[in-house]
This record gives sequence, structure tokens and C-alpha cells, in this order.
Amino acid sequence: MRLLGILFYTAVLVIIGLKMIMVSLAFSFDFLRPQTMTYINNALAFLQNNSNARIILGLSGFLLILVSISLAQVILGKFQREKTIAFKTASGEVTIALTAVEDLIRRITYLIPDVKELRPDVRAHKKGLTVDLRVVLSSEANIPGLTERIEEITKTKMQEVLGLEEKVVVNTHIVKIISAQDKDKRKKDDIQPTIPFSGYGKF
Amino acid sequence: MRKEESVTDLGLIRIHKNVIASIASLAATEIQGVKRIGGDFKSGLMEMMGQKSLSSIKVDTNKNGEVIVDVPVVIKYGYNIPDIAARVQESVRLGLEKMTNLSVKDINVNVQAIERE
Repeated sequence: MRLLGILFYTAVLVIIGLKMIMVSLAFSFDFLRPQTMTYINNALAFLQNNSNARIILGLSGFLLILVSISLAQVILGKFQREKTIAFKTASGEVTIALTAVEDLIRRITYLIPDVKELRPDVRAHKKGLTVDLRVVLSSEANIPGLTERIEEITKTKMQEVLGLEEKVVVNTHIVKIISAQDKDKRKKDDIQPTIPFSGYGKF
Repeated sequence: MRKEESVTDLGLIRIHKNVIASIASLAATEIQGVKRIGGDFKSGLMEMMGQKSLSSIKVDTNKNGEVIVDVPVVIKYGYNIPDIAARVQESVRLGLEKMTNLSVKDINVNVQAIERE
């Protein structure tokens, strides 16, 4: 069903794209023959005069919207279901959204002062979890030591909080190293927002 | 929305699914470590439109009349998730059985996010 949905949307978009290219080319190079214009006019006149045709057209449009919404729900539902970690208990199933795991990792990094920003991306697969961390560090930090610490804290906390027994692979990617000055500047910018025309009326 | 029914000598007792959802919601939020009940697309949309928020707790019944409840939750940072989920399941089961006498088959907990206290 998911494949069918993706094929449907791809086909619709390709058809729309091709039609647009054809119309654009036809107008650019004057390919439109008078017969084509007559054919379009006749079709529109037929729609205008024939009530059955109008009803059929309207119903087709409605049906297309319904099919489109159902397919979108199926695709989104499938994608959403895949983005969770699930385990069974005696009372039912527990699913943990991967976004929740990402929230958790983001909180963990407050424990490390040298980490200025962290963007986690968690992927679940049969063998376990893969965590990709995009990290912004301060310039004074010892990178090998710090990354090792980040990976260790992430792994242990995840296993502790989520109760995971599966393997957790943590990949760290340092995207930026900011200096203390940048940090101070950023802080100043954050603290003192400028309000335009705020000085008027003050003596 | 369908209602759960039971027959007594004097007549029929119907419990609306919204009532079951409310009981489940209260029982889940009683647990320390549960910040709030999570939302779904529909409840979020209703909230944005200024409508009273519908509970995002899903209640279903199977052929045997047993209740299946899906509870989306947001958990506070620092708590063990499987432990909290198990406590939510137990609390919801107890709450529903105590207040409605319904037979509960599954309580599916969906942890949607983790938030700071």
C-alpha cells in the first residue's frame, strides 16, 4: 500500500510536470494548432452545457482528494510507526518515539559544559540504535577526550533511561568550534534585544 | 464514538469512550515522572483552532468486549522510561477496572517526548 501511494504521488507529480513543460514549450514555439484550441474550447463548452459531465467531474475530483488523503495517512502512519522503539510488557506495548530519545540526548549534553550545541539524529534498526551527533564545541575543549566522554555518557544514559539491551552506536561529528569571545558576544546579543524607536519620549 | 455497554436487571449502562479516555488520562498523569498526556495531529489542530482539546487517548474494544487503550505520554527528564511506562499501564488498568468494571486487554503506552520539569 505504501509503495502504491508513493507511485501514485510520483505519477501525479510527473504528469503535472510534463503537462506544464508541454504547455510552456507549446506557447514558446507556437506549437498550439488552432485545432487544439478548438478541441479545448469544445471540451469546456461540453462541460458547461452538460450537467452530468459537471457532476462526474466534481465527483472525480472529490474521489481523487479522498484517495490522496487516505494514501497520505497510510504513508505517514507507516513512517511514524517506523520511528519508534517498541517493546512488549504484560499489560501491552510500550513505544518510545525516536524524537523522545533525541530530546533525552539533548538533555544529557547539559551535563558537559564544553558542548555548546548538540543536534542528535537517532535511527533504529534490527541490530540496535545508531545515534549521529552533530556537536558545536568550545575552542578550549580537548576533542578526543570530550567526544569519548560524550559517546560514553550518551550510551550509558540511553541504556539506563530507556532500559535498552540492544547495541547503541554513537557517531560524533563536530560541526563547529566556537571561541569564548563568540560565546560572550552571542550571550550579549541574546540578553540585550534592541527595540526600534524605544528611546523616544525619554528625557 | 461507540459506548461500552453492560446490562443490569434495571436496564443498560453505557460508558462513553471519552469517559474511559478521561479515566486513563487521570490515572496516567498521577504517576510521578509523567509530565502530561501527549497529543496527536487531530488534537493539536483542534487546539490551534481554539477548540476544546480532545483527548488524544485512543480507546478501542475487541470482539470479546475487552478494552484496548493507547496512551501517548510525555515523560519528565531523569526518569527511567520502561519503569514509568509500566507504572502508567498498571495505574490505568487499576483505574479502569475500579471505576468501570471493564475488562482491559492492552494498555499501549507511547512515549512521545521527554521534557524538563
